[in-house]
Amino acid sequence: VNDTIRFVAGRLAIAALFVLAVGVGAFALVRLAPGDATSHLVLTGADPATIASERARLGLDLPLPAHVARWLAGIARLDFGESSRFGRPVAGLVADRLGRTALLAAAALLLAVGIGLPLGVLSGTRQGSLLAGMIGVLSVAFLCCPPIIATLGLLLLAAGTGWLSIAPGDLGVPLLALALPLAATFERIQSQAAGEAFDSANVHAAAARGLPRSRLVWAHAARQSLRPVLGTAGVMIASLFSGSVVVEVITSWPGLGQLTLEALLSRDLYLIAGCAVAGASLVAVANFATDLLRAAADPRVRHST
Amino acid sequence: MGIGVYSLWVSRPERQNVQSDALAPGGRLIATYRTEPGTFNRLIAPQSAEELINRLTNATLVRVDRTSGAVEPRLARSWTTSADGLTWTLSLRDDVTFSDGRPFTSADVVFSLRAAYDERVKSAIATSLLIAGKPIQARALDAHTVAVVLPSPFGPGMAILDALPILPQHKLQPALDAGTFREAWGVTTPLQDIAGLGPFVLKEYVPGRHLLLGRNPRFWRTDAAGRQLPYLDEIEIQFTPDQNNEVIRLQAGESDLMTDRVRFEDLALLEEAEDQGRIALHDAGVSIAPDLLWFNLNPQAPVSKTKPWLQATEFRLAISEAVSRTALVNTVFLGEAIEIAGPITPGHGDWYLEDTRPPAFDPDAAIKRLQSMGLTDRNGDGMLDDARGQPVAFAALTQKGHSVRERSAAIVQEQLRRIGIRMDVVALEPRTIFGQWSAGDYEAVYFGIEPDSFDPGRNMDFWLSSGGFHLWNPRQATPATSWEARIDQLMQKQSTTTEPTERQRLFAEVQRIFHEQVPALYFAAPKVTIATSTRVKGVTASPIAPSVLWNAEMLSLSASSPPGR
Repeated sequence: VNDTIRFVAGRLAIAALFVLAVGVGAFALVRLAPGDATSHLVLTGADPATIASERARLGLDLPLPAHVARWLAGIARLDFGESSRFGRPVAGLVADRLGRTALLAAAALLLAVGIGLPLGVLSGTRQGSLLAGMIGVLSVAFLCCPPIIATLGLLLLAAGTGWLSIAPGDLGVPLLALALPLAATFERIQSQAAGEAFDSANVHAAAARGLPRSRLVWAHAARQSLRPVLGTAGVMIASLFSGSVVVEVITSWPGLGQLTLEALLSRDLYLIAGCAVAGASLVAVANFATDLLRAAADPRVRHST
Repeated sequence: MGIGVYSLWVSRPERQNVQSDALAPGGRLIATYRTEPGTFNRLIAPQSAEELINRLTNATLVRVDRTSGAVEPRLARSWTTSADGLTWTLSLRDDVTFSDGRPFTSADVVFSLRAAYDERVKSAIATSLLIAGKPIQARALDAHTVAVVLPSPFGPGMAILDALPILPQHKLQPALDAGTFREAWGVTTPLQDIAGLGPFVLKEYVPGRHLLLGRNPRFWRTDAAGRQLPYLDEIEIQFTPDQNNEVIRLQAGESDLMTDRVRFEDLALLEEAEDQGRIALHDAGVSIAPDLLWFNLNPQAPVSKTKPWLQATEFRLAISEAVSRTALVNTVFLGEAIEIAGPITPGHGDWYLEDTRPPAFDPDAAIKRLQSMGLTDRNGDGMLDDARGQPVAFAALTQKGHSVRERSAAIVQEQLRRIGIRMDVVALEPRTIFGQWSAGDYEAVYFGIEPDSFDPGRNMDFWLSSGGFHLWNPRQATPATSWEARIDQLMQKQSTTTEPTERQRLFAEVQRIFHEQVPALYFAAPKVTIATSTRVKGVTASPIAPSVLWNAEMLSLSASSPPGR
């Protein structure tokens, strides 16, 4: 029990530090880069005094350490600041979009697992077959294709065939755009692991006991080969969120990625930092959940902490 | 390849920018737009999304026609000007109500102007309502007559009032009095609390997805046949951050209008779709916002000590001669641009001066000019060096991700390399560029500025040495050069002269000085093309954004759906 508590507390502390580091890093980077949310005011002919007062209102006249400290103190009160672009509290803006990104990511993850793992088991346990070759080629094609091209390709396909709606906010195209490359990754890892598991001594022993091939594949090889997939799940989920920025922008999915882009273009400091904290939190939660799963599946993980 | 494409262009039939097909009322027009509004309060937001919504939901006393530049009556039915030109007396329409049913009166005009100038509001449009840096005054003479008093005679005349949306005093007065005007009409405000005088009202806003506008049943305009405007029942603005997505949606018949202009790389594809009858392309004329290359000419800038040649007129003249504008037009704009040498393009109509044409492309002359400045190849590496033996090199900031600017900068870079000048292109996002520019921390910038008027007298911040937008050396206490002093003098006279011919003559002299001194280098002005679905009728395309929706009340949809829908 002590091991478990220590394990959970350690992972939670790491997750909190990770979120904090990402948030402070994003805040500092945006502050240090030339230009800020008031830079566009020159376009309106605003005089230097007006620009200076706006900078003061946004806290941009403060030294960086003092500004970061003020922002962190605000976060302690769950006040993430106000968006200079939208004139609204960052927390509300981010919460609106976070749910949509989480929905897209969760659906994509489920779909990717649903496609990638079975195909990986199939191709791994039928190495050298035509089916395995075709699955492999398709997976490599999805892995090689840059996300922006794959997303545009899917968008064109959907527009040309009418199979899926391409209206902003419809789930079909962004879901496939995010899920298919991830499914390809799962398939490749699972294929390798399933191939090794299928060739292992215990599967050979089970075969010698006369178990049918389908049970050997789906009950023995598939289960044994899940561990390496689980081991990389955390990294996969992180890549899912980074990939969702491109997908959301191109497919007009109103999630955190789209909001982050808008915030970056507007140099909206508090919103950028808020988006970074939210994105990092999602990744941290997903990693934490993955660690728990791995620990449950393999007690050695718990003890290694 | 560029020349081939250009030939294809000139052999195509001329596009129209005004359609006169039979109009049918009703229907929902779907437009895609890349950014979302941060507020529904136009006075506080300078961005294009807010301006678009403003044009759809608010009205002005007069309107500048975005194709001809002519001032046309709107809420002001007519007006007279006093003998000294300092007072306009406007007779307002007495048959107008806001979308919530409350009548429009002169009190709303006075209120709107007061709100725009209120220091607590820090309005984004306040500076565009100043004449020689001073505000105009409005006085209600009766419920439907307003006297507008100017601080000095103003050449562009009533066009200044095109910038002022008339807002409902009964809705916004409490916020103005309480000092909370900036928070009023944010995007979370219940839409039924927002009232306007424009052709449309806000119906539904779903962040990240769309903004739905419905016909304002109380809109006060009718067409020539006496039919109530607007024709459309609804306009749905779908937020589509990526322009590729916009093009795909338009081609697939999923939208009717891309609010931005067509990119040159998309033109061939869209022309094919036009030939198949799937979309319509509209010629909006030549852009009045060409990109420019300017150098930091502030005498106090560090570059004046380290690279004094960078601030020399001869250096800029050499660059102007060394860059092949034809190559730029053909490779970057695929032939869809005009070669220019100054900020005033053929798109500006009568303001354009024929005798300020670009110099001939002559790299040899440019090299001789640079040699006369003491810039020669001193170490035999094929590149020029200054008298101190330092390479003739400079960094030009340009907009990251803006394909036209990045490609143009690359072409200029290559052409300058051929005469021995090294130009390092630094691609940054716009706010970073503005930040460095504002701080004077730059050597050169390749960028574009979007004016909202054809009339140069409405763009004084650019021309005057004291102007915040005098890009190469802004906000000068006294003019740094004699030619800037002369331009100041001419522009001040031009903007306070109301006689059109005299204004033309004065501005022609300004353009000639600009042409001689080349404070900023202009190479090409693109032709502006707008794409819509074939079912959109009544399009009057303008080079000034929003190119089509500026006149949304006249748009209608044909009964038939386009192919693919």
